[in-house]
Amino acid sequence: MGAIQYALFAYVLTAVIAFAVVGVIVGVNKLLSGGKDNGEGEV
Amino acid sequence: MLNTLAQLFPGISTLFLQDPVISLTRVALMIFGFILAYLGFKRVLEPLIMVPMGIGMIAINAGVLFLEAGKIGTIFLDPLIEDPSALVDIMQINWLQPIYNYTFSNGLIACLVFFGIGAMSEIGFILNRPWASLVVALFAEMGTFVTLVIALKLGLAPGEAASIAVIGGADGPVVLVTSLMLAKDLFVPISIIAYLYLSLTYAGYPYIIKLLIPKKYRGIDVEVPTPNVTKKSKFVFTVIACGLLCLLLPVAAPLIVSFFLGIAIKEAEIEPYQTLLETTVTYGSTLFLGFLLGTLCEAQTILNPKVGILVFLGILALAISAVGGIIGGWLIYKFSKGNYNPVIGIAGVSCIPTTAKIAQHAAMEENPFCVIMSLAMGANVSGLIVSAIAAGVFISTIFML
Repeated sequence: MGAIQYALFAYVLTAVIAFAVVGVIVGVNKLLSGGKDNGEGEV
Repeated sequence: MLNTLAQLFPGISTLFLQDPVISLTRVALMIFGFILAYLGFKRVLEPLIMVPMGIGMIAINAGVLFLEAGKIGTIFLDPLIEDPSALVDIMQINWLQPIYNYTFSNGLIACLVFFGIGAMSEIGFILNRPWASLVVALFAEMGTFVTLVIALKLGLAPGEAASIAVIGGADGPVVLVTSLMLAKDLFVPISIIAYLYLSLTYAGYPYIIKLLIPKKYRGIDVEVPTPNVTKKSKFVFTVIACGLLCLLLPVAAPLIVSFFLGIAIKEAEIEPYQTLLETTVTYGSTLFLGFLLGTLCEAQTILNPKVGILVFLGILALAISAVGGIIGGWLIYKFSKGNYNPVIGIAGVSCIPTTAKIAQHAAMEENPFCVIMSLAMGANVSGLIVSAIAAGVFISTIFML
């Protein structure tokens, strides 16, 4: 794999894992706080 | 007579007996060590790291003596010993060898620092506009990936390139662990460069903010949502996020569990542990980290021809990450129709809490009533998580190169 392809692959993988983790954090918080808004609707 | 004098003052006499390049480098490193310690004393650089590091650097290059069979060396530590029986022998002589082998070369010291960072972090900040914080953090990780490509093009081996690139995440313990795992021969210069530069971010980043964000945008006051986060909620998602990350990135599990255990202890309000982590563990490990890094700065180590390239790549990684973070800040500003201060972007670079403080300071310079600290801390915590993930991805997948 070339350097640029690897960097892109690693960046995308990092982003996917990070979104999954933050998604879990937001989801669990939403679940435990009875679905009240915690900012997840905003950019 | 001369022989007696040489034996009496080996620190000085070895300067005349060693290769002139090594002798001159020893003197230069002693001077450099003094400068670092003094700048730490003056608070220009981070004193917690720089004072012990500078003094360690002076001591290791001054305290050179004649060892067995006329060999020249020190009685501090030898990072290059790998043979188990030689290691056991040298542990009886070199006073820092046990600390180095039992805490440094296996990454424990980095994990101890992460325990402390976790115990002092407020995970709840991440819920102040979590997606914005994450996007900013991902942009602020750009330095890591761009530098990786440049390092590879400059001829570094994949592990070495990844190790120097993670400086872009601005997280000392992450750099330490990555370089220990991927570039053992270069982990000393890489770690020293990382900690040196991390101390310099405080001085350099405000200029990058001023360069990339016009004055009128720096003072934008942001409507900060107040998320409904209970202690129970924070504890539960901390534990789940920790398990998930360990599951996805086992190689980074030591760092991940250290950070999240620190957070969990804080949220569970286990005060004796919290006090232990926030004070004894954090300051004890930081002291030994700084001192050991200093004592690893022997002339022979620093004279590695790759050090020049590493010095360039380290600063490049941090600069690109800062620019990336600010681009991310601008992007969120545009998407949220102005309800975001682009300065927060710099806090995506995860140097907790330095970059968040820099962002708050830059905003307050233009608008004394502008409070962006909670959003900046959210970006900071996200940045830390992203940089740990990036390091884990490198360690797990670098074989693909």
